[in-house]
Amino acid sequence: MSASAEIVRVDDLVKDVRPGFGLRKKRILDGISFRVREREIFGFIGPNGAGKTTTLKVLMGLIRATSGAASILGHDVSEITFRRQIGFLPEQPYFYDYLTGREILRFYAKLSGVSEEHRERRVAELLELVGLSASGKLRLRSYSKGMLQRIGVAQALVHDPQVVFLDEPMSGLDPVGRKEVRDIILRLRAEGKTVFMSTHILSDVEMVCDRVAIIVNGRIRYEGAIDEFLDAGEPEADLVFANLSADAATRLEDRFGAQMRGHGDRIEIRIAEKDSSAALRLALDAGAEVISATPHRVSLESIFLSKVNEADAEVGSR
Amino acid sequence: MIGRIWAMAFNTAREAIRNKLLYTFLFFALAMMLFGTVLSALSYVERERMMQDFAFGSIRLFSVAIAVFVGVGLIHKEVERRTVYTILSKPLSRAEFLIGKYTGLVLIIWLQVAVMACFFAGVSLLLGAPLGLTHLAALALTAVELALVVALATLFSSFTTPLLASFFSCGIWLAGHLTRDLRDHGANSSSALVREATAWMHRVLPDLESFNLSLEAAHQLPIAASDIWFPALYGAGYVAVILASAVMIFERRDFR
Repeated sequence: MSASAEIVRVDDLVKDVRPGFGLRKKRILDGISFRVREREIFGFIGPNGAGKTTTLKVLMGLIRATSGAASILGHDVSEITFRRQIGFLPEQPYFYDYLTGREILRFYAKLSGVSEEHRERRVAELLELVGLSASGKLRLRSYSKGMLQRIGVAQALVHDPQVVFLDEPMSGLDPVGRKEVRDIILRLRAEGKTVFMSTHILSDVEMVCDRVAIIVNGRIRYEGAIDEFLDAGEPEADLVFANLSADAATRLEDRFGAQMRGHGDRIEIRIAEKDSSAALRLALDAGAEVISATPHRVSLESIFLSKVNEADAEVGSR
Repeated sequence: MIGRIWAMAFNTAREAIRNKLLYTFLFFALAMMLFGTVLSALSYVERERMMQDFAFGSIRLFSVAIAVFVGVGLIHKEVERRTVYTILSKPLSRAEFLIGKYTGLVLIIWLQVAVMACFFAGVSLLLGAPLGLTHLAALALTAVELALVVALATLFSSFTTPLLASFFSCGIWLAGHLTRDLRDHGANSSSALVREATAWMHRVLPDLESFNLSLEAAHQLPIAASDIWFPALYGAGYVAVILASAVMIFERRDFR
């Protein structure tokens, strides 16, 4: 498989449901399409109710799409045998709580076709990986939410899959646990695996994902490399001055369309990066003191929120 | 495939064996058998027959109760608790999942029938009541009937709530024990519609009386090999049809 091989392919996927006994259909997925490439960490982000979990359930064969196509590793998602090569962690997973951590992993290993000779070693490795070696003999009913999430990650990896699907993998974890799961995700990529991660925790996405897709109201609003995404639009710079006269401030505002914010005796302005030299000259000539000049990095959160707002405005105008 | 079904079956059996309901019904079944023994001691005639009749009735009734009340939650619970998400994301078909769950529960119910049968044999030996192959055949056919009842509970559990599933399962079990009588009474009716309707009911609903050899066992009546093999094959066929229907329904379900 080439480096850019498509591991997950979703084309024009539609899912309609009829809530309760109603006759009216509700469209959960509205013709979504995206690709996940080999050896990448793909972030699937969107607000609650956007259709993230529904998409994952279609990919896992848990629900059927109304129309469209979805395939993983070239296999239609309705097939069974290729699932030996995929792992899945659902959102807020629930396991048989009468089993111990070791027993549940053994059970999933059996279902996944891990041979008896490798099973025990694999279970021990995974308990070690998720930091539950000491709790492997305890029943799951005594596990905390974070421990259950870790067991969930372990069961998704028990058969050493090529592609791993994680639905809100950081949910219920403390900062240390989140860091550990992030490290596991990065390690999976280093091992040549592909990770599909659905989440609404944007800081995690910024830290680990190579590419993202934003889904809002059942539609994909953006898909692409996270760096391109963050660098989209005209670059801006933040300049901080002291002793900036009112006259100079007005001129900066008029000439460069600068946005100003005052912090005590200091004034922070945000302008287009291309205008920063001219703005600095103007301010220095007016007797201002330059405290700092830094390129402004757009946060994923602000872009994400703008996409959500765009989608809401679109819905409102219909 | 067998390995995956067995993994599901083993786990289901492990879950069922932790179910307190199982022990409650088992306790009541054994208590009823003891009560039958005490009651038969008060009788002047046919004490052994009375005790064995009571015991067979208890075994059947409480085993069916376990089959229904544990069986109706078999699939529903997995969907409600969302354990089905992780299981069905593995290379396991929905048919393997369902058959595995069914097999696990049937094995546990057969195990508790074996426990009741041992108790029954112990009491019979203690009282000097006759024990023979007919008793074994009666218990074996009870086991077939229970496999059928678990299949019914599994079918209903695959698409409805435990409450409705237990209502439907109990209803069919009761009707299944009455269809033969209904057909015979219907045959004497002057209305062609009643005759046809009762005959069709007997054909469609399971004829559960064909699994009942308790009378023959208690009275030590002779039975032919066909009295065992025919109901056993009929039961196996019926179970196959019910499970195939359950798989068809379960395959079409969306786990939202």
